Amino acid sequence: MTSEPEPELREALLAAVPSLRAFAISLSGQVDRADDLVQDTLLRALSNLHRFEPGTNLNAWLFTILRNLFHSEYRKRRREVEDPDGSYAGRLKVQPEQGSHLDFEDFRSALAQLPSDQREALLLVGASGFSYEEAANICGCAIGTVKSRVNRARLRLASVLNVTDIDDLGPDSMTRAALQG
Amino acid sequence: MTVDKGNKLARAGLENGPDGTLATDPKLDSGSQKRIGDQLRAMYDELMQQPVPDRFRDLLDQLDKNGQKDRSQ
Repeated sequence: MTSEPEPELREALLAAVPSLRAFAISLSGQVDRADDLVQDTLLRALSNLHRFEPGTNLNAWLFTILRNLFHSEYRKRRREVEDPDGSYAGRLKVQPEQGSHLDFEDFRSALAQLPSDQREALLLVGASGFSYEEAANICGCAIGTVKSRVNRARLRLASVLNVTDIDDLGPDSMTRAALQG
Repeated sequence: MTVDKGNKLARAGLENGPDGTLATDPKLDSGSQKRIGDQLRAMYDELMQQPVPDRFRDLLDQLDKNGQKDRSQ
């Protein structure tokens, strides 16, 4: 007699947690902060369930909430922290104790150097599996803007990681030296 | 070698990308783009495979209990 959407919903939300965490960690560079973001996202989603349109992409909706929470918190912190982007690079060196993470340290450092709008676009399209259109909806911008950000992010990463040579984007050796200092 | 890659990059920039970016945008050659994409997904997959922290299960368990309480009232 009683309809029970909760168990189903619980499973759907739980299933979304790994991808939300991966996005939040990659976005913020901080596991603790990422988990707080995911928790806030789940709470916000639960209290706004009536605004979710059944049949639409639950993951995209959750990512939108998380992304908006991240940016409103970022703006708040920006007033408190002097150099949020500079400290991000340092924070990204988390978890060096596990050998597997060392493989990605260069990549994480390179990712940290991207402007946050480019990092976000690349993560949504290149890693989280969203289409350009979905990513545009999540970020609240035009599809062309997402494409351009993803393209610039790739170029910048390729340059920093020495995947290819793009001389006008800065001296790689100096960037690397600075990162390792 | 540097010159070769530079030329390759320049040539790639003259074509429309599969994602529809403008021909005038500089664009990575497909090999570099694949290497970047592979590294990104490898890093991301590792994060995805981390176990879900208990706090999230607990949070959603709480939701179940509250939901049942609401219905029983």
